[in-house]
Amino acid sequence: MLGTRDSELVPELVRAWGPRVSRDRTSVSLCVARAVSARTLGNLEDNGRMAATFASPGNSTAIQIWGRCIETGPARRLDLEAVEAHRDAFVELNKGLGVPRAFIEALWQRELAGSEQMVTVRFVAEQIFNQTPGPDAGSPL
Amino acid sequence: MNDARALTIPLDSIAACFEGIVPASVCSCSREGLPNVTYLSIVHRLDERHVGLSFQFFNKTRKNTYENPRVQMIVVRPGSAEQFRLDLKYLRTETDGPAFDRMRARLDAVASQTGMSRVFKLRGVDVYEVLDCRPVNEESRSEILPQAESMRELEAFTERLSACEGLDALLSTALEALADLFGHRHSFVMFPDEEGTRLYTGASYGFDPSGVGSEVVVGEGMLGLAAERRSVVRVTNIALDRLIARAVRSGVERRGERDILEKEIALPGLPEVASQLVLPLLSRNKLLGVLCLQSAETGRFLETDERVMQIVARHLAASMANTMATDPDEPRVAALPSSPEPRAASQAAIKHYRSDDSIFIDDTYLTKGIPGRLFWKLLQAFVATGRAAFTNKEIRLDASMGLPDIKDNLETRLILLRRRLDERCEFIRLIPAGRGRLHLDVHRSLTLEELP
Repeated sequence: MLGTRDSELVPELVRAWGPRVSRDRTSVSLCVARAVSARTLGNLEDNGRMAATFASPGNSTAIQIWGRCIETGPARRLDLEAVEAHRDAFVELNKGLGVPRAFIEALWQRELAGSEQMVTVRFVAEQIFNQTPGPDAGSPL
Repeated sequence: MNDARALTIPLDSIAACFEGIVPASVCSCSREGLPNVTYLSIVHRLDERHVGLSFQFFNKTRKNTYENPRVQMIVVRPGSAEQFRLDLKYLRTETDGPAFDRMRARLDAVASQTGMSRVFKLRGVDVYEVLDCRPVNEESRSEILPQAESMRELEAFTERLSACEGLDALLSTALEALADLFGHRHSFVMFPDEEGTRLYTGASYGFDPSGVGSEVVVGEGMLGLAAERRSVVRVTNIALDRLIARAVRSGVERRGERDILEKEIALPGLPEVASQLVLPLLSRNKLLGVLCLQSAETGRFLETDERVMQIVARHLAASMANTMATDPDEPRVAALPSSPEPRAASQAAIKHYRSDDSIFIDDTYLTKGIPGRLFWKLLQAFVATGRAAFTNKEIRLDASMGLPDIKDNLETRLILLRRRLDERCEFIRLIPAGRGRLHLDVHRSLTLEELP
């Protein structure tokens, strides 16, 4: 999940797909569906502040990255491949938990209604936290 | 000033989003403008304009909301996978009241089941005003289905129960009706023992084996806590609760605080249970038992099911109390099937251990405690004199039985004994012979052995 905020500190959330670390390991990119991310993209344009949380449905382990957006733009081939790979893995993990494939597919298909376009958000990570539920949630990694 | 404008999507039309079936997420923002995103196992809908989050651990979301009350959540509707954004404003933290009690009962029950009762403690309920609720994608709205009406089924349920005579028939009819009328195909009723320290299963439906006689400790696990607190416990995604509990458990272990963890308790019932609804059976403030519904389907018991089943549980409890209170000492059915002569060729050895009143038939465990003591008494009379007919009254008045004051509970013990015999023994049956009478039906020669 990707979180941003506007100039009045009002937060905005959106589901993000296909995380990728750049080859030089200086930035991370994610993709969001354009149809559901108008405010998110406006906020990133405005101030660039963002937080992204990544969780594994299989065991609830999670991390959060605080960072600053350096670029947004139409998703390219490698970004879309990462989105596909993420969705496949997400389906597989959820299948093991008894969640049907159709449900996970509907989750992203509904985000694409009105526009099939995905947008890449590239950001520099500034702080990383353990976000696994429990007493250590929020501690720096 | 509060914005009294109607929400784009009314919360009650997406009630299933607030059941903890699909995890939600929340984004807050610090005074310095740093957003923070975390996942939530459940968002509680308090009313049409308010939601609540359980506060167990101090975290950044809480710190941020004190600095900046604006928060956004995304909730997901089970089934359709629609996502909704909730724009919220933090109002206050409640540490008592009905919402707190309800959330605490659920959390404590899950914590106890997973051995985390010293880790998961509800400190408060953070209450948020809902400024708006809207679909994440306006283009993908799907039709909102009206909620099911249950008046017809409730009427049929009460009608079936009103035709029952005796507790045994009442329970069997009730559990069968839950399956027929409401589709709840796995259910059981547990009764408290004399001391009120344990619950034992007295009747079940849709389980193989039936589980009759299985016990849980009052105050432990979801069933034990529902009994102790006399409150409903409803869980919609046991797998998710367990996953989170295990993640927290690993964190606690890593910190070297293993001593605050307890054992995870196995749930009686379905091996793949995903949803469970436990309802206390209360009559005049007295706990007669608990009714437990289980399903292998995630999200099977929703808020509406809980309301309907509350009515069912109250009616069942009132009917049970009524049945237990009617004087069962006047036999109404005269004719009894006579026992055929026991076949001498086939013998059975029955052992009774005085220490816990456990009974073994041909070295197979049958029961213990009061049902064991009762059964032993009946068998002794049967073997010594051939007597096969008994009345509840004589059992209750028999000082040598050493029974506690269990007028209300004698019937539940007899039901347990009868069902255990039906399940575990082919040649002895305890047949209810009209109100207050029992018939012991034995088809083998018995040898009795009393052990310390």
